[in-house]
Amino acid sequence: MKSENFASINRTTIISGFILVLFVLILFRLFQMQILNQESYEEKSADNSIKGIEQIPFRGAFYDRNLKVMVDNTPAYTLRITPAEYDPKLNPIIDKILGANPGYVASILLKNKIYSHYIPIRIKRGIDFNVVSWLEENSEHLPGVDYIVEMQRGYPFGIRGSHAFGYTKEISPDKLEKEKDYYKPGDYVGHNGIEKQYEKELRGVKGFNYVLVNSKRKEIGRYKNGTQDVTSIKGKDLVLSFDADVQKVGEEEMKGMRGAIVAIEPKTGEILALVSAPDYDLEQFSYVTSKEFLQELYNDPDKPSFNRATMSVKPPGSTFKLLSAIAALDMGLINTSSTFYCGGGFTFGRFFKCHGAHGSLNVIHAIEKSCNTFFYNLIYKIGLDKWKEYAMKLGFSKKTGIDIGEEVAGFIPDENYYKKIYGENWPRSIMASLGIGQGEVSVTPLQLAQYVALIANDGSTFQPHVVKGYLDNNTKQIIPFKFPEIKTGIRKEVFDIVKEGMFLVVNGAGTATHIRMPDINIAGKTGTSQNPHGKDHAFFICYAPAEDPKIAIAVVVENVGFGATYAAPIAKKLIEAYLKKETLNDQKKKNENTQTKIAGLNFAD
Amino acid sequence: MRIDYKLSDKFDFGLFIPMSILFAWGLAAIYSSTYNHPTAGGNFEKQVIWGIAAFIIFFITYSLPPSTFKSISIPTYLFSLLLLIVVIVIGRKISGAKSWLDFGPFGFQPSEIAKIGTILAMSAYLSRINTNIDSFKDILFTLTIGFVPVALILLEPDMGTSLVFVGFILMLIFWKGISLFGLFIVLSPGFVAIAALFGFYYFLAALLIVVIFLFLFRKDLFFSGSIFALNLAAGFFANSLFNALSPHQQQRIQSFIDPNSDPLGAGYNTIQAKVAIGSGGFFGKGFLHGNQTQLQYIPEQWTDFIYCVIGEEFGFIGAVIVLVLFLYMFLRILKIASTTKDEFLSLILIGILSVYLIHYLVNIGMVVGILPVIGIPLPFVSYGGSSLLVNMFMLGIVANVYRNRKNYT
Repeated sequence: MKSENFASINRTTIISGFILVLFVLILFRLFQMQILNQESYEEKSADNSIKGIEQIPFRGAFYDRNLKVMVDNTPAYTLRITPAEYDPKLNPIIDKILGANPGYVASILLKNKIYSHYIPIRIKRGIDFNVVSWLEENSEHLPGVDYIVEMQRGYPFGIRGSHAFGYTKEISPDKLEKEKDYYKPGDYVGHNGIEKQYEKELRGVKGFNYVLVNSKRKEIGRYKNGTQDVTSIKGKDLVLSFDADVQKVGEEEMKGMRGAIVAIEPKTGEILALVSAPDYDLEQFSYVTSKEFLQELYNDPDKPSFNRATMSVKPPGSTFKLLSAIAALDMGLINTSSTFYCGGGFTFGRFFKCHGAHGSLNVIHAIEKSCNTFFYNLIYKIGLDKWKEYAMKLGFSKKTGIDIGEEVAGFIPDENYYKKIYGENWPRSIMASLGIGQGEVSVTPLQLAQYVALIANDGSTFQPHVVKGYLDNNTKQIIPFKFPEIKTGIRKEVFDIVKEGMFLVVNGAGTATHIRMPDINIAGKTGTSQNPHGKDHAFFICYAPAEDPKIAIAVVVENVGFGATYAAPIAKKLIEAYLKKETLNDQKKKNENTQTKIAGLNFAD
Repeated sequence: MRIDYKLSDKFDFGLFIPMSILFAWGLAAIYSSTYNHPTAGGNFEKQVIWGIAAFIIFFITYSLPPSTFKSISIPTYLFSLLLLIVVIVIGRKISGAKSWLDFGPFGFQPSEIAKIGTILAMSAYLSRINTNIDSFKDILFTLTIGFVPVALILLEPDMGTSLVFVGFILMLIFWKGISLFGLFIVLSPGFVAIAALFGFYYFLAALLIVVIFLFLFRKDLFFSGSIFALNLAAGFFANSLFNALSPHQQQRIQSFIDPNSDPLGAGYNTIQAKVAIGSGGFFGKGFLHGNQTQLQYIPEQWTDFIYCVIGEEFGFIGAVIVLVLFLYMFLRILKIASTTKDEFLSLILIGILSVYLIHYLVNIGMVVGILPVIGIPLPFVSYGGSSLLVNMFMLGIVANVYRNRKNYT
């Protein structure tokens, strides 16, 4: 009866064959996807759904040399907007509540348009607590608006340190492009000064919390209960060479003036204080910096954002006489018995005036009296090129390499320079002014400080720096940074002679006797830099105590007049702040010691 | 005639058990993909209720007298045509296609009913005593019965379902025993139409092949000429049809060719589906532990992409077991169809088998990325009431035929 069977064997076979082929085809495809290529799909699946949320570590704090906190982190509220959930109609309300100009929120949102709409954008840092409570009360009407607590820089001890510390700021697109492995848009990075120079130490290492997100990038839980999370590592706390008290005195003394102070520990090159006046309030940079504040900063004729300590150059005036003395002594051109006669001036092609008639004097007294005539004579003996060579040995006409970034090299002319301008027979009379630190010679306050530190320490020191090292997070021990040593190769006897002159400037019949102190011997040199545009700039360089220099200072005050009158008293204040504190501290320690001894005795008895 | 009193003689466990496993597994996968979903949270419970209804329908259909099917074939067909017209006028639009009719809280797709109606009507016509499938008139009439609902469904437009219809129409004609030449007449327009979609030169090449075949068959010139004209028309029709497709369907065809060309758009589902299945590995990530599923990377995963849930959470093993269950059911239906002496019932069974088979091929082929994204559900597994009811009704017919198989020997 098979032939009656309507469904032929043939057709049944074809259909079962078709079904089997489909089965094998899909089976093979599954094998390929789930067994052979499983890993690559697994990877894609993980990329999809696991998101690392950055944990920004605490930025390292700044301690002064006595481990007083100078800069740390304080919590602050940041208002954020998530564009995907936000209604731009709210812009005017948010502008108003933030006290910002109309269009502020819109402009920030526009700037961040290129990033995912599910990433919250920081609109303003450091918002008032009033704003936070307003946000809380109205949260249901403010979709996509929230706030978070973030750490920001705090300056709780009244030390401004604006030019040395620098500030943090949202990363620039350029830097982001260069270091996109680490930074993300919106990250804060050190923008100048120590914050910039030590960014890598200060920022720490970001951590990551891994969370699961759904297809809408909405967070819905921890990945593997947080076991895969990477803990962030706190930034290194830097120990600055600054002395908070000295810095504070310097800032206060310079209030209302223009100029700079640099104080260095001569033996180590550690900078004890660095002041550039006028300065500005770093607190203003803790937040999203307002445009008005920046405008104000840049438009101020006194240029507060300009770091005068490392960037301003001026002729150093009579402070440069020490250079000529060192050069001449070291070259053996003069000794303490060599004298020049000062009859009130010097003639070379024309007459060069001295500020008095000092009679016959040697190098020590020439420094004491700051006799122009002596040094007019001296530079012709030394020769311009040799003079420049010694200037460079003492750190001029080149950058010091200070670890706060921007600085300039200044300028010291040589014979070639004048030959280029005037030809082979350049007027040699130019040299006379250079001998007393006037004319075409320019130096920074920092270079002057290094110069006086080199003199105080008999021709050697370390590259000037503001950071000593960092505190180990666990042991709290200071791990020092290394800085190159500077050696002038100039004989100690040379410095002894110059130092004797400097001692007399304050303690003899010199130009700065008014800052003499009964208990601390200061040695120094005044200077007045002629300013064709207005009042002269006052200079004073010094170190103390004269017997065992612990602090070397350069003070420059712009447009006030004589160095002795204006700059020297400021230096004295700093010396007091630094050295008297040491004696005070020593006394305190002694007292404590005796007290514990007494206590110990009592206990023993 | 020997009477067997064993239950298995009356009731085909070979169909019922694989179907029940697939349904239960589908429920698990629906649960996994919806239990924490914001809008589809109640789908598991809904599917359980649909399932109860579907099982009842299965048993009712199973117990009907076999003659019922023939008597309802023409009314069902006409009724479903009516519904297809109604849905074009007042249907609810879901993802670009007007394919749903609402009755209070319930919605259903008339095209599901039309499947049954069309299979019954075509089988009835083909099984008439005087039908000669190789006669031009009978082919034309059979194809008309089949393609009227296809045309209506294309107007919705629902490409996936029309594809299912085309599939079972061809299978029925094939099962009826069409001659090679007849098959050629039926298939060649489709072949030319697909070639036309690829471009003008493919179209020309396909026409050339048709001409060569016409020569080989050596039929009279007029007949050959009209077949050639039919092919020519099919080519032009295909092109205008493609242009008439909604943009989202056109895009789906294009994104199948290169899913990465638009990873967040039309290709998104394909990529995420492949990632879900591929990352499942051999043993799978475990029930409720597939991150692609749980994090809702694939939209509406409980319907057309349900196989991804199984592939991801139950791995290669789970995915292959599903394949094997289907394979077993298919071969089982084929066996019943080929042993049944009643031509009408045999044709119905092949129609039903074709519906299942095309759903299975297109659905799984889509989620594993060997076919374009054409949204049709996986029988018994995907979420959805009307397709489950219709599938169970059809399986009830198969079980019914099995129960009565000896009455026709």
